[in-house]
Amino acid sequence: MTLINTSTSAFYDRSQTGMQDLRAQAEALQTSVASGQKFTAASDNPVASARLRQLSRNEALSTIDTANAKRATTDLQLTDGALSTFASYIIHAKELAGQAANGTLTPAQRQSIGAEIASIRQSVIGLANTKDANGHMLFAGQAAGAAYTTDASGNATYAGTASAGELSLGDGQVVARGLTGPEFLTFTHNGVPTDLMATLKTLSDALQNADPAAQSIANASLDTLGSGLDAITTAQSVVGSRLAWIELTSDRRTAMDELRAGEEADTGGTDLAAAVTKLQETMTVLQASQASFAKLAGLSLFDVLR
Amino acid sequence: MASDLLTIGLSGAKAARTALDVTAQNIANAGTAGYVRRSLSLTELSSTSSFGRLGEVSLSGVRVDHVVRNADLFRQAEARRTGSDAARADAEVSGLQDIEAAIQQARVYPSMVGFEGALQRLASDPTDPSLRASVVEAARTMAGTFNIAASGLKAVQTGLQFVAQAGVNGVNTLATELGRINLRLARAADASSDQSSLLDQRDNLLQQISSYGDISTSFNATNGVVDVRIGGSAGPLLVQGGSATALGLTTAPDGTLSFDAGGSVAALSGGSLSGQALALGKLAQVTSDLDAAANTMMIAVNTAQTSGTALDGSVGQPLFTGNGAGGMALAFTDGARLATAPAGSLAGSRDPGNLDALRSALGSAGPAAALDQLIFDISATVSSRKITQGALKAIAGNAHIALEAQSGVDLDAEAVNLLRFQQAFQASGKAMQVAGTIFDTLINLR
Repeated sequence: MTLINTSTSAFYDRSQTGMQDLRAQAEALQTSVASGQKFTAASDNPVASARLRQLSRNEALSTIDTANAKRATTDLQLTDGALSTFASYIIHAKELAGQAANGTLTPAQRQSIGAEIASIRQSVIGLANTKDANGHMLFAGQAAGAAYTTDASGNATYAGTASAGELSLGDGQVVARGLTGPEFLTFTHNGVPTDLMATLKTLSDALQNADPAAQSIANASLDTLGSGLDAITTAQSVVGSRLAWIELTSDRRTAMDELRAGEEADTGGTDLAAAVTKLQETMTVLQASQASFAKLAGLSLFDVLR
Repeated sequence: MASDLLTIGLSGAKAARTALDVTAQNIANAGTAGYVRRSLSLTELSSTSSFGRLGEVSLSGVRVDHVVRNADLFRQAEARRTGSDAARADAEVSGLQDIEAAIQQARVYPSMVGFEGALQRLASDPTDPSLRASVVEAARTMAGTFNIAASGLKAVQTGLQFVAQAGVNGVNTLATELGRINLRLARAADASSDQSSLLDQRDNLLQQISSYGDISTSFNATNGVVDVRIGGSAGPLLVQGGSATALGLTTAPDGTLSFDAGGSVAALSGGSLSGQALALGKLAQVTSDLDAAANTMMIAVNTAQTSGTALDGSVGQPLFTGNGAGGMALAFTDGARLATAPAGSLAGSRDPGNLDALRSALGSAGPAAALDQLIFDISATVSSRKITQGALKAIAGNAHIALEAQSGVDLDAEAVNLLRFQQAFQASGKAMQVAGTIFDTLINLR
């Protein structure tokens, strides 16, 4: 039979190691409960920590996507409002053109109608040069200056860029952030490309200058303005569908955020119930080993031998 | 020769006294590090019967033969070897954890994400001065965190090198001391208590040296003089007889360490010095990886900058200057100089073409991914080394406890010895008393 000699210092060493281990475990659990984080350093679980880094990156970028989507929504809503105003201008101009087409009017009455149409045209040019929430031209695409400029004879020319540009909504989704002026102010009537400002100018010039053909020009412009109104309405539905698209991606982003938060909590968050139970277990074992250590350490043959 | 009861009793009493002394010595040194339990080896004193006197009783009692030192060479060697491994793992893990903390606590990765986020926000309105300023500030923060990480790594390197140098000095002090012990051992009387305590000191020194580096030992069987090789059995001699060779430390330009003893290379595979050398090797790799990540980031941003147009219509200029994580700095702080528009754009252009190109360059496979990989690399290394460390510590702990259990003092056993030798002393005294009584009986015969 082999008898292992239990040296006194070996006993103390063993007890110390055991209790130190338990204490370290209890402290790690306590830190995890207090911080709400399962890991204090990436090396506690490298794979989960890498996933958590990825998740927090996605979360940070998603927050910015949300802000960008809100900006795009604001711009598109402003565009939508402006388009409604454009539509009401055209409807008003159409009414006036209808009156001017009436043969019973005197040239003087037509002149005053022409003046009113000219002022509507000025409003249309002004509205086309309106600004967005950031102080930029709403309809000039990505250009810095005004969307429409007028020359000495009053002809309006588009000065912006060809496209309004796209804004990232995250996850590879983009949305066109607005409309350029020509996208709804230039339209095709009877196969001929024309422009709302030019149509209004031709009409008001003819009426104001008492052109003999003023009545027929007014009559013809009724159809042209009708096409212009169609262009505006089409543009409005485009804007509406873009807004709907932003909302759709926002909903999707919210859903993704929830999933991400869930995964983050699962991967890196402390499971309180499990951690507290484990802590209690460790404490029980630690107390038991402390008690047994105290008992064993107090047990000396010297006390018994007298 | 006839027996003498009085002499026999006296020798027994003397032997018991010595045994009691040894027991008391054991009790007194129960907590002394490196003390090996002693016991007495006793031999019977008797003379063999000579020719013509067959059947004669010739007894002379007992004598102390030698002091037994209950050391087990194998267990001691095991304790040294496993202790060496555990010390290496401890030093390496603590160095690696410092490296991990330097990278992680500098928060380089979050600052890179912050920079990326600032660029993304700028895309919503590339001409907004406040968004441009926030990009510049995010870039400044990122450069700052890279600088902090680089200086943190540098501090870890200095610290590890300092500790390694201190360890080398420690080994040299211990080796010189061991040489002196060797000289005294060569002169000490065999199996004396003096030799026992010298052997204790010798083993203690070997244990301490082995915590710095792995050693191989060869003992002289007669007098206990030890020759020590460092870096395994093929390594150079550190201590030979009374002379010790100085262990030398060389630091390479990249901060890694190499050791030699008297000019011959000592390839350490255990001990804290080896752990520090391993950690410094990893540190050199992490430092160069971090520099590479910083350079990739700077090149990506600067390339995009120079191929775009700033807000005032001029050609974009590099945003970052310097080289490596430690040298990263901003070249300008005016947000208007960020080149968001593609080349050839007019002043004040809202075209984010160049910004989009930069953002996609920084995207999924960019420098942030390289840094993510770097953090994963170091944390995975720490994690796997921790597992090794746990195993090696358990093995070393068991080997140490096995050694202690065999060579340490058990107070209960000593209590029993105390009692036993006390009784032996009393019994020998009784024998002497009986001898006196017999003498009296004879002298009183009338």
